[in-house]
Amino acid sequence: MKKYICLVCGYVYDPAKGDPDSGVAPGTAFESLPASWVCPICGAGKDQFKVEE
Amino acid sequence: MAVRKIKDDIYSVGAIDFDRRLFDELIPLPEGTSYNSYLVVGSEKTALLDTVDPTKVGALVENLNELNVEKIDYLVAHHAEQDHSGSIPFLLELFPMAKVLTNAKCRELLISHLQVPDEKIQVVADREKISLGNKTLEFILAPWVHWPETMFSYVAEDKILFTCDFLGSHLATSELFGPDEANVYRAAKRYFAEIMMPFRTSIKQHLEKLKGLSFEIAAPSHGPVHRNPKLILEAYADWAGDGVKNEVVLAYVSMHGSTQEMAEYLTNNLMERGITVKPYNLARTDIGELAMDLVDAATVIIGSPTVLAGPHPLAAYAAFLANALRPKTKFVSVIGSFAWGGKMVETLAAMLANLKVTIIPPVLAKGAPTDADYAALDRLADEILKNHQAVGL
Repeated sequence: MKKYICLVCGYVYDPAKGDPDSGVAPGTAFESLPASWVCPICGAGKDQFKVEE
Repeated sequence: MAVRKIKDDIYSVGAIDFDRRLFDELIPLPEGTSYNSYLVVGSEKTALLDTVDPTKVGALVENLNELNVEKIDYLVAHHAEQDHSGSIPFLLELFPMAKVLTNAKCRELLISHLQVPDEKIQVVADREKISLGNKTLEFILAPWVHWPETMFSYVAEDKILFTCDFLGSHLATSELFGPDEANVYRAAKRYFAEIMMPFRTSIKQHLEKLKGLSFEIAAPSHGPVHRNPKLILEAYADWAGDGVKNEVVLAYVSMHGSTQEMAEYLTNNLMERGITVKPYNLARTDIGELAMDLVDAATVIIGSPTVLAGPHPLAAYAAFLANALRPKTKFVSVIGSFAWGGKMVETLAAMLANLKVTIIPPVLAKGAPTDADYAALDRLADEILKNHQAVGL
């Protein structure tokens, strides 16, 4: 599973860690995050993320 | 400062800051602001929802005295920012028995920003209810309007929702429900643009959630209370939604007149094509007004001369601001002038990286605009019209 980086603030979503504070379990792929999920650091939507190279 | 009654045993007890003219040393407040704090008196317990900016804590205390409040059991913190939670430490000294009710994220921020003692905090979860006797507080987590810890409180018995900054406005008024609807709408839109716009994804989600809740009054933490919440909720749905209007925001600055001439020419041309234009000379612009027009505009044009090989700093400021506010704008272009060269367009384009926009080719004049430059501006206006029509405007 790929990591995704937030283009607004630089936060990296790591599927291995998930985002437990937002109720996202470790092992959740970025693609499986709900459309309502936002960056935990800056609040940007999923459309502001891209695959981390 | 007068206490204002909203419902039986529910009062607005915050402070009206008629004099304040700048927020965060950034946002102009042409109409002042207020820090709304609400007292909810139950048959057994009393809760104070949010406090006020520490500079105005005297007004809050006076209001509590006027109501002969002898005890506060709960201080509810919807949002850790200083203008709402900044007076919590002082109130804890006045009411040492009080517990601060807040969510887990806000607890962290109250401790790190305001040194609120951890043992005074009681963490509540989403949809948790705390009884005050004949009234019940229900907490609804609403992150990212506009910090990660924001939340609302709902009192079902009185059908009233306390929304903190969400639905708020910077408007100092002695009238609890504000002046006429048009003024309240305008102030709320300005506030949305300055504070809420970057968080449209979360706003849409919260609006959906609120549809399942029955409330007749929405009481935010700044500005008037809404007694017909449908109006402000519909406005938020419109502003946060993806629809743009047939409008162009033209934010420009000119040093010796070339960019000004181009901006005026383009303004006229867009008007002739039936497009609404909002020209802003950045040397004398209230950035709140500019932000407000970014809420709906399909296109943003930045106009700038070339200064030391880059954009004029005022144009860079406007681009930086638009990028941070992340409006739903669909098209962007640049007009301006240069004397011998530079990379003004590249610099501005790089500053707008957050926006999901199509860049329309810029129009740059070498020195004073010539007939060829005016023809290029005609083509730019045509291109804007074509793009607007292509998205159904």
